[in-house]
Amino acid sequence: MSKIQNLELLVVGGGPAGLSAALAAANYGIKVSLTEEREFLGGQLIKQTHRFFGSEKEYAGTRGIDILKKLIDEVNKNNNIEVLLSSRVLGIYEDNIVTILNDHKMKKYYPQSIIFATGASEKFLAFENNDLPGIFGAGAVQTLMNVYGVMPATNVLMIGSGNIGLIVCYQLLQAGVKVAAIVEAAPKIGGYSVHASKLRRLGVPILTSHTIKKAIGKEKVEGAVICELDSNWNEVKGTEQLIKCDAICLSVGLTPLVDLLKQRKVKTTYVSELGGYVPLRDENMETSIKNLFVAGDVSGIEEATAAMIEGQIAGLSVAKRIGKNSKDEIEERIEEAKNELELLRSGPVGKKIRKGLSKLGLNHGKNYNEKFSEEALDISHLMKTGVPSEENLKNKLPSEEKVFDKGPIAISECFQRFPCDPCVKSCPFNAISENGNINNIPYVDFEKCTGCGICVSKCPGLAMFVIHKNFSETTSVVIMPYEFLPRPHKGEIVKVFDREGKYLCDGKVIRILDGKFQDKTAAVSIEIPKEYYLQARNFKVEEGNHG
Amino acid sequence: MKNKANVVIIGGGVVGCSIAYNLAKKGVKDVVLLEKSYLSSGATGRCGAGVRQQWGTKQNCLLASESMHIFEHFEDVLQIKRDIELKQKGYLLLAYSDKELEQFKKNIEVQHSLNIPSILLTPKEAKEIVPDLNIEKLVGAAYCAKDGHANPFQVTLGYAEAAQRLGVEINKFTEVKDIITKNDTVLGVQTNKGFIECKKVVVAAGGWTQNIVKMAGLDLPIYSERHEILVTESVKNVLDPMLMSFSYNIYCQQEPNGSFIMGYGPENEPPSYNMESSWEFLETMSKKATWLLPPLKNIRVIRQWAGLYNISPDRQPIVSQINQLEGLYVACGFSGHGFMLAPAVGILMADIVTGDQLTYNVILDLERFNRGEIIEEPSVV
Amino acid sequence: MDENKVIICRCEDVTLKEIRDAIRKGFTTVEEIKRVTRSGMGPCQGKTCGLLIAKEISQMTGKPMEEIELQSIRPPYGGITFEEVTKGTVMENDK
Repeated sequence: MSKIQNLELLVVGGGPAGLSAALAAANYGIKVSLTEEREFLGGQLIKQTHRFFGSEKEYAGTRGIDILKKLIDEVNKNNNIEVLLSSRVLGIYEDNIVTILNDHKMKKYYPQSIIFATGASEKFLAFENNDLPGIFGAGAVQTLMNVYGVMPATNVLMIGSGNIGLIVCYQLLQAGVKVAAIVEAAPKIGGYSVHASKLRRLGVPILTSHTIKKAIGKEKVEGAVICELDSNWNEVKGTEQLIKCDAICLSVGLTPLVDLLKQRKVKTTYVSELGGYVPLRDENMETSIKNLFVAGDVSGIEEATAAMIEGQIAGLSVAKRIGKNSKDEIEERIEEAKNELELLRSGPVGKKIRKGLSKLGLNHGKNYNEKFSEEALDISHLMKTGVPSEENLKNKLPSEEKVFDKGPIAISECFQRFPCDPCVKSCPFNAISENGNINNIPYVDFEKCTGCGICVSKCPGLAMFVIHKNFSETTSVVIMPYEFLPRPHKGEIVKVFDREGKYLCDGKVIRILDGKFQDKTAAVSIEIPKEYYLQARNFKVEEGNHG
Repeated sequence: MKNKANVVIIGGGVVGCSIAYNLAKKGVKDVVLLEKSYLSSGATGRCGAGVRQQWGTKQNCLLASESMHIFEHFEDVLQIKRDIELKQKGYLLLAYSDKELEQFKKNIEVQHSLNIPSILLTPKEAKEIVPDLNIEKLVGAAYCAKDGHANPFQVTLGYAEAAQRLGVEINKFTEVKDIITKNDTVLGVQTNKGFIECKKVVVAAGGWTQNIVKMAGLDLPIYSERHEILVTESVKNVLDPMLMSFSYNIYCQQEPNGSFIMGYGPENEPPSYNMESSWEFLETMSKKATWLLPPLKNIRVIRQWAGLYNISPDRQPIVSQINQLEGLYVACGFSGHGFMLAPAVGILMADIVTGDQLTYNVILDLERFNRGEIIEEPSVV
Repeated sequence: MDENKVIICRCEDVTLKEIRDAIRKGFTTVEEIKRVTRSGMGPCQGKTCGLLIAKEISQMTGKPMEEIELQSIRPPYGGITFEEVTKGTVMENDK
């Protein structure tokens, strides 16, 4: 019989959860084998070019891909971690032998403990002709573009307005692909409002209460028929419209990849808030089978930051269970991580997760503060359209017009409550505040603000703008964040748009901050006719000017 | 669910459904079939789906050829519209010793006496039928062009459909908890959904038959054993017959949809109700399969599973009345060849239950073990 | 929606109509529908169709999703060739 290799800890999956789990355990002396079915580590993180929200501890303000570089670096430096790339776990049997396909051979392992960080798979949608070539999962399109540099289409219709759908649309635009529209069946946008606002500024229509009826095309997608839905999710007669497109992206949710867990008969249950069938597990991420843990999306659909912290909890739990190191210290670290996780999940956007977790019998409530569970402002219009209401804007603008006279000031167009504070942390004059709690929306102290524009590049939601109303007698300057190529030249005339992507006027580029400090989010100062200072929020570089 | 029946059949596999249909066809009213999960969830839905007539005893040959005839005319016989995916491209039985070949010769004689069109082949002739076959060490082969494959789910559902049309009540997800008897007579059956009063109970519960019969306080000389099996991805059709060898211990066929399905008889498998898969099986099966059919090496295995063989002392079915208890009957102990005999066994059991003259001159009663009449069937995997 | 033009199981090309017909015929578990339509028997082993089929069962029978089980999962996950299996059985000192 060929050899069976003994392992202390097998981590299945090299995404953020798996990497974090491996590091957490390895740092306490556990020998870890990390197995990843792709040829590279990273999981979904490798495609996340946007900046993360959250707190400093969770790499807020840092791009997903850069967070990943840090993690991979640490993993490679750690002598306790053996990384097995191009290694797919095939089976986990009753006798706890794990078979892995590596180097074209089925190899056998006997791990003392396992952490499954296998992530999720994209859900599919039932509509007519849903098997036409040109219909992709949004994650798949993201992989094609960001990992393999392949342009998936020229004009995409996005189905679903959760964070993945919104982020992928933005990335499509950055890659030069048109987005015909975003169609969302629910009456409100599913993802963060700041992601949606970015897209509205870029002219992408977001159609809530709409769904796709059928894909059109002979041998591949040529268009789609969409229709409106009423409050009972039924089609409203007479609202069909044809959208021309050459690809349809489905961003209709993820569901945990529990296949390997099910092989081993780990108990699972259906929890819709967590994406589908999830493993039953305790607060330490241990499943119904002893020494089998889970972390990341496989335990419930959330996002990368939660995945990393769950990975830490699982890795630390294994270290506590089978390690020889200080159990007390490890327990402290576990508690710290759990607190971080709860903070992350407090606030209105964490409601769904909290509800899902409570269905699993997991008590989440220690750091959960009632005060922050509801929105601070009425953002119903914002969540329906991606565009803030007049009330919302008034809330963030100076109460007196004369404040604009003192010089350039930063305006935060961030209206939704979620844990995030890079704007606060980035201001050298401490002019931005969330009143001591990361869940609050930020407000600018116009007395302290100098209009330097640093925050414009630092906000992960691209929701900070600097307005210099009285730049000249007839013109204002707005500093806008810009993440597209080509970059404009100083002095160039560009087209300027409002929050709905409607053309306002032409503007002149008078300054571009685009150095290492801006980390690829250029802060571009555009001079515009004064009457537009409260509306100008986006610009487009003329193709012709750049050959 | 009825609370009173004439006959209660316990077990919704192909055998149970065949019995139900045949009882109803004979005009028996108030037949109720109970299945603890979904129809064919037991061995029927897990088996290798092979149907052959190449047996060594007259009894098995008779039941097999009668069953094959029914498979061939399934829709007409049952008066239904259902494709059972019958593929008749043969069974190629491989002999690796002179002794084995001699046995095949004897078997062929028995088969011929029942008009089963089997023939003996040389290794070269075998290779003509299966060009990819590794004929190293092969001494000869037996072949019957009319043997082959049928879809176990469709056959079971076909019998169920026809049975229901004839008035049989089929209750899925209904588990038998107890058999109630009094004075050595069956009174009824207790289920998780209520009690059914009845005079006759037929237990066709595959691997769980002995447990059910134990509820009535009786022991049967049968035990259950895990047998494993795997299926590959679909590829274009390259293998016509089912390949089988008793000495090399393997069976392997390519189903109509293009997947290969295969297994072998495990050594040292303890009696159990275990239906979990093992990595040992995957390894051993891979070695056997690629030795027998080298081009298989690049084909992907996509799933392995297991089922229970219900094994009798002579590895022949027990289709019988139970003398110790008035009204109790069993159809079990098929030892891995229940599916292919189910059509005829259904008729046989229906005859026994109604007390009619037996359609087939076949004695598979339980008492044969006490009489010392073991049926030696040489052709089993 | 023309049920015949909606694909539920992409691996085996099973349409929504076939799924709904099976449910109407009384096959109200994912395992049964798998055996009757071949859904879930392809390379992805139900990853794409499983949830959709469960939803249809829930909608048509009123059974809540929490009471519907998806098909059982068995090794080898993702598939493996026979050769890859046998290569792995070679003893270290056999090489």
